[in-house]
Amino acid sequence: MASKDGEKHSPLEQFEIIPMTHNKIGGYDISFTNSSLSMVITVAVITLFLTLTVNPRSIVPNRLQLVSELMYNFIAQLLSDTVGNNGKKYFPFVFSLFMFVLIGNMVGMVPYQFTFTSHIIVTFALASVVFIGVTILGFLNHGIKFFTFFYIPGVPFYMHPLLIPIEVISYLSRPISLSVRLFANMLAGHTLLKVFAGFVVAMPFFTGVLPLVFIVALTGLEILIAFLQAYVFAILTCLYINDAYHLH
Amino acid sequence: MLINKKNKLEELKKKIDKIESSKDKTVIRKKESGAGFGFKISTEIIAALAVGVGIGLIVDNYLNTKPFGLIIFFILGAFAGFLNIYRVMRRIEKQ
Repeated sequence: MASKDGEKHSPLEQFEIIPMTHNKIGGYDISFTNSSLSMVITVAVITLFLTLTVNPRSIVPNRLQLVSELMYNFIAQLLSDTVGNNGKKYFPFVFSLFMFVLIGNMVGMVPYQFTFTSHIIVTFALASVVFIGVTILGFLNHGIKFFTFFYIPGVPFYMHPLLIPIEVISYLSRPISLSVRLFANMLAGHTLLKVFAGFVVAMPFFTGVLPLVFIVALTGLEILIAFLQAYVFAILTCLYINDAYHLH
Repeated sequence: MLINKKNKLEELKKKIDKIESSKDKTVIRKKESGAGFGFKISTEIIAALAVGVGIGLIVDNYLNTKPFGLIIFFILGAFAGFLNIYRVMRRIEKQ
């Protein structure tokens, strides 16, 4: 009993997936888990917030409408800066991606809430969508010429057998670096918070106040990182879309 | 003539101050994102190495060239990691 109680306070316990229903279709486990619940909450928050705040459609916006418009402008500006005029088509995609990651991270900052971005399978799925989509986009825009993306002009010919595999590996590493960055940041941040929370209880007398103060500062930092990682995810998506248009 | 020169000098001073203050800001911003910057770099290397090792293992598995595919693609993956970092640095320097 005591050991079980000790296990309950593990800093990694927060990342445990707990199925809420038990469904299996064709051998695949498609149970509704706490991770799915937190995604549903995220999507609900995004939808409700964006629809309700811009509903008045006032020319002089109130504060909440201003927040929505700021987010819209932020991504629109990002796309036009990195991709240019071609980027307008991809605004819905990049905006949903940005909002999903951002609000997902923020929902994860609420105590007792699950952070689905701290699971690599979620971030890897998101990054794979970006990667596969961008590759298809490149082939649609350039056809077979897309393969010249891996060919660096102005290099001696005998270097190409070495450089082309390197370029291909570099290209294939994109979804991994994109997903690992988001996942590792969220995992490390939330684990750190829990570890310091453990110190508050473990330290004697009133010295537990010190880690408590540190947790407050860390929470602020975590919120900054939550935003920063969503921004990085969005800007890298934009850069990859840009690469699909301009090969070099 | 003298007053005119003084005005010009003062204007120049204001300009210099403006540039100096903007310089200070960028330095502070760079210091803040030091940890994030290191993180970015390390994920780039690890991702490229992981892809290299993965391809190497697959090649070994299919072509039965047990250690050589892994060795060659590990090295290529390391190079790809450096290439990624070079690209990241170039992007940061542009900004």
